[in-house]
Amino acid sequence: MATAQTIVLPGDKISLSALPTSPNPNKPLTLGPGLRHIPPSTITTTIAGALVVDTRKNATWVEYNSGRYTPSPSDLVIATVHSSLTEAYNCTLTPHTPYATLPQLAFESATRKTRPILAPNSLVYARILSCTPYTAPELTCVDPSTGKAGGLGPLKGGMVFEISLGMARRLMLGGAKGSVVLLEALAEKVAFEVAVGRNGVLWVHGGEGAQGIKITLAVGRAVQEADEKCLGVKDQRKVVEKALKGL
Amino acid sequence: MPREADISANEREFIQQALRENIRLDGRPFDSFRSLELSFGDEYGVADVQLGKTRVIARISAEVTAPFPDRKFDGIFNISTEFSPMASPAFEVGRPTDAEVILSRILEKAIRRGGALDTESLCIIAGTKCFSLRADVHIVDHDGGLIDASCIAVVAALQHFRRPDVAVEGENATIFSIREREPIPLSMLHHPICVTFSYCDSGEIMLVDANLAEEQVREGEVVITMNKHGEVCQIAKYGGTSVDALTLLNCTNVALEKVKDITKFIQSKLEQDAKKRDVGGLMAELSAENAR
Amino acid sequence: MSSKAVLSHLHRADGSATYSQNGYTIIGAVNGPVDVQRRDELPEEAAIEVNVRPAVGVGGPRERHLESLIQATLRHLILVRSYPRTLIQVTLQVRSLPEEESAGIGSVLTNSSLTLLPHLLNTAFLALLSASIPLSTTLTSAFVVITSSGKLLYSPSSTDILRAQSIRSIHVFAFSAQRSLLLSEGEGEFDVEEWEDACDLAEDRCCRNAGIAGENMDVDGEVMNLADFLRDVVKEKVVKEQKWKTAP
Repeated sequence: MATAQTIVLPGDKISLSALPTSPNPNKPLTLGPGLRHIPPSTITTTIAGALVVDTRKNATWVEYNSGRYTPSPSDLVIATVHSSLTEAYNCTLTPHTPYATLPQLAFESATRKTRPILAPNSLVYARILSCTPYTAPELTCVDPSTGKAGGLGPLKGGMVFEISLGMARRLMLGGAKGSVVLLEALAEKVAFEVAVGRNGVLWVHGGEGAQGIKITLAVGRAVQEADEKCLGVKDQRKVVEKALKGL
Repeated sequence: MPREADISANEREFIQQALRENIRLDGRPFDSFRSLELSFGDEYGVADVQLGKTRVIARISAEVTAPFPDRKFDGIFNISTEFSPMASPAFEVGRPTDAEVILSRILEKAIRRGGALDTESLCIIAGTKCFSLRADVHIVDHDGGLIDASCIAVVAALQHFRRPDVAVEGENATIFSIREREPIPLSMLHHPICVTFSYCDSGEIMLVDANLAEEQVREGEVVITMNKHGEVCQIAKYGGTSVDALTLLNCTNVALEKVKDITKFIQSKLEQDAKKRDVGGLMAELSAENAR
Repeated sequence: MSSKAVLSHLHRADGSATYSQNGYTIIGAVNGPVDVQRRDELPEEAAIEVNVRPAVGVGGPRERHLESLIQATLRHLILVRSYPRTLIQVTLQVRSLPEEESAGIGSVLTNSSLTLLPHLLNTAFLALLSASIPLSTTLTSAFVVITSSGKLLYSPSSTDILRAQSIRSIHVFAFSAQRSLLLSEGEGEFDVEEWEDACDLAEDRCCRNAGIAGENMDVDGEVMNLADFLRDVVKEKVVKEQKWKTAP
C-alpha cells in the first residue's frame, strides 16, 4: 500500500532516507516510472508528480496523470488496425505514433487457414509482448504460456471512449485499490461488456438496439465524468444514480 | 505525411446507429450548439471563443499603409488562418490541409466579401493613406466546428476592436496613439455568423455544430452564413451526396434562429466587457497619477 | 504583476500550459513522443521541434531565431535518449503582449526579441511538465535590464522601462534547479562585471533560496522566486489529479 507521498519536480534527488527499506535485504529496490538511477547511488526524478513509496514491495515510483501513453511490456491495450501486411497487422495505439505490429497468427488457435481477418479501422484488445525504444511494439492476442485468448481478440460493436491514463490504471486496479465503484454499481442494474486499454481507451458494449446504445453511452459518459472531475467513491455513486435514471 | 487518424469502424458504426435512433454522443438534440463561451483580453480586438472543447482566438490589428491603387477609397482588410501543431500534430506549419483551405475560404466569403466591415471608413487620405486591418485566427484546441467558432471569434473581435484616432489637415494625417486619444470602434455594416450543418443519410439527418467524431462520420456539410436580419451571405455545401432542396430551406430557418441567439450572446458579452473596462480604465488612470 | 500558470487545459495536445506575467500571456502545447519525419529523424535521440507563433501575422526571422535558442536549450533538458527516432513538438503561441509593446511605443523593448524569450522558455517548460516528458532538471528563466545609469532592473514592466528612459543592455538567463546556467543571451553594451551582477540577480530570483523565505520578497512585497512558483504549480497539478484519493 502507498504510505508516503511527496511532490517532486524533475531533477530532484531522492534522499536515501526517503527510499523504502525492505525487511528482506535480498529483495532488490524497484524503481518505477519517473525515476532514474545515476550510478553509483544517485536517484533522481524525471517527471513532476507525487512520489509514492511502497515498503512491502520495496518499490518507489512517481505518480502522474498527464501526457501521452508510452507502451510498456505486458500492458493491455485497445489498438486500432491500420493496415494488413502479409504476416502481421499494423496497429495504432495512440494517434501519430509508430505502428505496433500484431502477427496474424497471434490469436487463439489461429493457423494459416483459420486466422481472423481484420478490416482496417477495426478494434482489437491485445497485450504488449515486447517493446524497446528502438523497435515497434509487438502485440499479441494470446497468452503465450497457455495459448488461450483470455478475453483478448477483436472487439465487435460497441463504442470507445477516451479516458485519462490514470483512470485506465485505476480501472485496471479494480474496486477497492483504485477506488472506482462505477462499473460494479452500474453492472448491478444493467448488463454491458467493457474492456480497458492502458492507452487511455475504454470500450463499452451495451448490447444491440436503441436500449443498447443508451446503456453504452450511459456507461461511457459516467466513467468520463468521474475521470474529468476526479470523483471519489461517494460522488461516483451519485453519477451512477443519475446515469441509471436516464435509462 | 501526417494525417488525422481515422476513427475506428466500431465508432463510425456506433455513431451512425445512434444518430438513426435520434441520439447524439453528448446527448444534445440535433439542432443545438455546444456550450459557447466568449471572453475578451485586456487589449482591444482579442476574442477568445470556446465551443465545447474547441477553442479559437481571433486577434485584430491595424497599421497604416497605402491603399491598393485600384481601390483608392478603401482600406485593406485581411483574414489569416494558419493551423499550428498545437491543435493537432496532423497540422503542419506551412502546409495547409484541406480543412484549413476551406476555413479560410469561408471566412473570406462570409466576412470579407460579405461586406461586414465598412472598408471605406478605413480610408484616411484617398490614394495615399489607409488603415490595413488584419485578423489573425489562432486555432488552439480542435474538437470540430472550427468554421462556426472562428467566424464568431472574428466577428466578436471586430466589434471589440478600436482603431487609433486620426486627424487630417490637408495632405497631412496625424495618428494618435491609444494614450493620446480615445480609440474609435470600427464601423460594421452587419454581423454575419456561420452555422454548419453536417448531414448523414443523404440529408435525412442534419446535425448542428458537429464535434470532431461526428465530422469524421458525416457525408458532407452545409455552411450557411447569415445575419440576424435573415439575410443569407453565403451557402457552401461540401461532400458529394445530394441533399433535398426542402431540407436546405429548413436549414436556413434553423440557422436564423441560431444566428439570432449567437448575435445576442456576443452583444451581451461586449456590453459586459465595456462595463468592466470602464471601471478598470478609471482605476488605471488614477493609479498612474499616484505613481507620478 | 505576479506570474500565473494553468496546466493541461487543452484537450488535444498531450501537454499544455498558459503562462502569464507582466502582461505577457503565452499558450504552450507539447505533443510527443510522436512520429518523426524521415528527414528530421535522429537515430539515437528524440528530435525537438519548436514553433513560436506571434500574436499578429506569421512568423519571421525573429521567431526563427527564438525557436533555435529555445530548441538548443530544451535539447539539454529533455532526456532525448529515452525516445530515439521520435519527435517532441513544442508549440508556443503568443496570446498577448504588454500594451506598449503591441502598440509599438516601448522603443527598446520592441526592437529586441529578447524580452519575449524568458516567457517563452518558462511556458515551454511548464508545457513539458504537463506532457510528462522525462526531463533531467527544471528550468526557470528571467531577464535583467541594465539602464544607462548602471542600475539593474529585474524583469521590469514596460512602464518601468519608460520611466528609466534609456537602457544600455538586456540580458536573458535560464537556470536549472542545481543553479547551473542553461542559457545566457545579452544585447547591448556591457562589461563583464555588469554581466556578473545581472547574472547574480537573475540567479537569486530564479533559483530556490536556501536561506530565509523573507529574502525573496520584492520591494512591492510580492514573492518573485520562480522556483517556488514552479513548485506551487506542480503541487496544484498533483492535488487536482489525486483528488479521488482523498474524496469521500
